[in-house]
Amino acid sequence: MLESTAKRPRVAHAPAGLEATELVRPKTAVDAVKALAEAAANQRSAMVLAGGTDVIVDRHLLSVERAHTVDLVVDVTGIEGFRTIAREFSVDRERLVFAGGVTYWDLRQDPLVLQKIPMLAEMSKDVGAVQIQTRGTLAGNIATASPAADGVAALMALDANVHLLSAPMAGGSAKGEERVVPLREFFTGYRKTAMCPDELIVRIDVRVPDPATASVIWRKVGTRLAQSISKVALASVLEVQDGTVRHARFGMASVAATTHPLSQVQSYLEGRAIAAVNAAEVDEALARDIRPIDDVRSTGEYRMHVARSLVRGVVRRALTQAK
Amino acid sequence: MMLRMTVNGVAREVEAPPLARLLDVLRGPMGLTGTKEGCGEGECGACSVLLDGVPVNSCLVAAGQCEGHALTTVEGLHDPSGALSTLQRCFVDDGGAQCGICTPGMLVAADALLRANRNPTEDQVRDAIAGNICRCTGYQRIVDAILHAAKLVAESQGAR
Repeated sequence: MLESTAKRPRVAHAPAGLEATELVRPKTAVDAVKALAEAAANQRSAMVLAGGTDVIVDRHLLSVERAHTVDLVVDVTGIEGFRTIAREFSVDRERLVFAGGVTYWDLRQDPLVLQKIPMLAEMSKDVGAVQIQTRGTLAGNIATASPAADGVAALMALDANVHLLSAPMAGGSAKGEERVVPLREFFTGYRKTAMCPDELIVRIDVRVPDPATASVIWRKVGTRLAQSISKVALASVLEVQDGTVRHARFGMASVAATTHPLSQVQSYLEGRAIAAVNAAEVDEALARDIRPIDDVRSTGEYRMHVARSLVRGVVRRALTQAK
Repeated sequence: MMLRMTVNGVAREVEAPPLARLLDVLRGPMGLTGTKEGCGEGECGACSVLLDGVPVNSCLVAAGQCEGHALTTVEGLHDPSGALSTLQRCFVDDGGAQCGICTPGMLVAADALLRANRNPTEDQVRDAIAGNICRCTGYQRIVDAILHAAKLVAESQGAR
């Protein structure tokens, strides 16, 4: 009714390389991976699309010469039950399970998340802003493998496992083939993953920290509160019992080619009596873990300074809480 | 490809490549130029629309992903009578708009907030529009306008 009468382009063009792309919108995950497998068998290039927060931007900004043509896009936002958040128990340990389409907005609202791992809701509030949170998915950020992704850092501190589905093999289960890769082993280099092109992330499960002993913290340092990509971000889970650190896990964003687990800091802390934890030794362990670089968002020197102060801060808080 | 979706309550059919950005389909073939393109990379929120009632940046959504879904653009925010909504009226009266480029996105984000939360705090208002960048107002008058609208709507409903 308020249509403009001014001259305007009547035709909408797709971003470079996507002009003639076929879009399929499967209702089930197995149909999605079948579409990927079929494309591969026919030498067609294929891509998975979820919230589009990375894919559509990258494509829109790509020069026509650099944009290779994609034959098929598999949209996973129409998969039924793909936004489910559930609870399960494995080896006496409670875990939360996020289906492959769970968004940051879902994490902010979900009662289970707010009750069991409120750190995930807090982290989600820091991802872009509402319009990004409603589209961006945990699985999408894992697959894109940016070392700056806040959600991936948080999942790493929660010992996440990534469940990958591929198409049914001849004589195999009609549900397809599934394998599980620990998130710590998922990233093999800058924006490189252990995932095959015909696989789809269908679930992510995380460890629920021990409510009695855990200090679970999210810290993000960016240029401003909303809509900023992290200069450094840290998620930590520290469990202290009877004066000893029993469990230490970290996920740090934007300090290395991949999201970093700070394994040296972890092994320094685990099993150590809190009276024997020394800030200088924590710093030394951290320096063995990471050597951040200069880039458009920050300098390596500043990042190292911030990383040190974040790690010291979360350790201090966990130890104080335990006393 | 022929895409079908409901836009501002009206069933629409539009011919577009399925991977065209929703933003381009709205502004081009649909002629709904109220939605603005700011940054084109999901940072500024000028292109915000509601997808099934939830705010999204239309520069990040493929049009084909909206097939069968309901969209609301700034053109659909008016009162049923066709007059400005309370929220729109407050933006006018309280100086919530200056150059106007961010305004459609601000209205869309604020409208979604007020539908979900009739009595938001100032912090909740700021969170709801954190993804909408304005280079003119310094935000305070926008925040005031949204809080004012919430108050007026609550009063009018209380009076009924």
